Amino acid sequence: MNDVRHGTTEELLALRDGEGGAWAKAHVEGCAACAAELYRLEQMRAQLRALPAFAPPRDRWALIAERARRERRQRRFSGGVGLAAAAALAGLLLVAVQGTGLDPLQAETTLKTAMARSQAMEQVLRAVDPDARALDGQAAGVVAELQGRLESLDAELGNPAALANDRVRQAELWNERAGLLSALVDVHTTRVAYAGL
Amino acid sequence: MTDTLPLAEAHSLVARAQAGDVSALEHLYRAYERPVYTLARRLTKTPEDAEDVLQETFLEVCRSLGRWRGEGSLWGWVRQIAASKALMRYRREKLRATEVLDDDVAARAGDDVPLRLDLEAALQRLPERTRTVVWLHDVEGMTHEEIAELMGMTTSFSKSQLARAHQKLREWLGGEGAGR
Repeated sequence: MNDVRHGTTEELLALRDGEGGAWAKAHVEGCAACAAELYRLEQMRAQLRALPAFAPPRDRWALIAERARRERRQRRFSGGVGLAAAAALAGLLLVAVQGTGLDPLQAETTLKTAMARSQAMEQVLRAVDPDARALDGQAAGVVAELQGRLESLDAELGNPAALANDRVRQAELWNERAGLLSALVDVHTTRVAYAGL
Repeated sequence: MTDTLPLAEAHSLVARAQAGDVSALEHLYRAYERPVYTLARRLTKTPEDAEDVLQETFLEVCRSLGRWRGEGSLWGWVRQIAASKALMRYRREKLRATEVLDDDVAARAGDDVPLRLDLEAALQRLPERTRTVVWLHDVEGMTHEEIAELMGMTTSFSKSQLARAHQKLREWLGGEGAGR
């Protein structure tokens, strides 16, 4: 055969997935090495699919059901007051990045800083050991609201489809996350959540 | 994997669960706990991480059932949540790490790699993002576009990571092939 090169792995994978270009298709028909490699890639996919499933070592359902029930109760209990408290606390502590006019490098730096803030607050919250602290009903409601908003934020951050490459929006979310974590620390330590609102 | 729940049954279970039927929620959990845990094991570093992802995923499912539009398979929706939770964990860990790249770790580990690995060990040895891409694409059947969206990267990234995964697997598992 006269081709000066073989198909790359990426080209052969595209071919395997039914997306290969005309050159790759024609080349593989005349090149035994590439045909063999294509076959190997198909076999590898089949072997990956044939790997056994894992079974969870413990049944987590009871724990999940209980936590889900508790979350629902807390949401109902806290009502609007909790949400207002959460919003106020998060708002007080939030350093929002209103990303107007940031160039890509600035936006990237801002994002890294925001992520670092969030990480730092997470460590502080862990050090506070919230699970070991008893809360009265009102504070528990505020905590539930804050945690609910954290979950929503995490869901948004964990779904970059909506964020695309919007670093500024990502930085806003990470900063908001840091603010919510900070508010959680305050609720667990100083009880400002209900003392001040 | 393919969805083990027929769409009509999924609709019915979701409607019952939204109405507060805990047994319907448990039915959903039982239907998806193994596939979610398996996916989590493939995308995270340790069984403990995978258990956490399993738990976080179903808590999110409990919270967000109303957001499932019922258009695609329920498994596809649950899988998206599970993969997001696993990737979120990876992102946090990466943030905590002191800028050690996956690639560097793999390269260093490569110094004493045995001549032959079995597929399970070789897969585990791949850098986390590379392993995520090969698993989501080759096993879960996600497209490069879907993976790119999920990971906040480009389709080119997904394609190159897939190629890289297969090159590494070939290298570690043995096998002939033209130099690529």
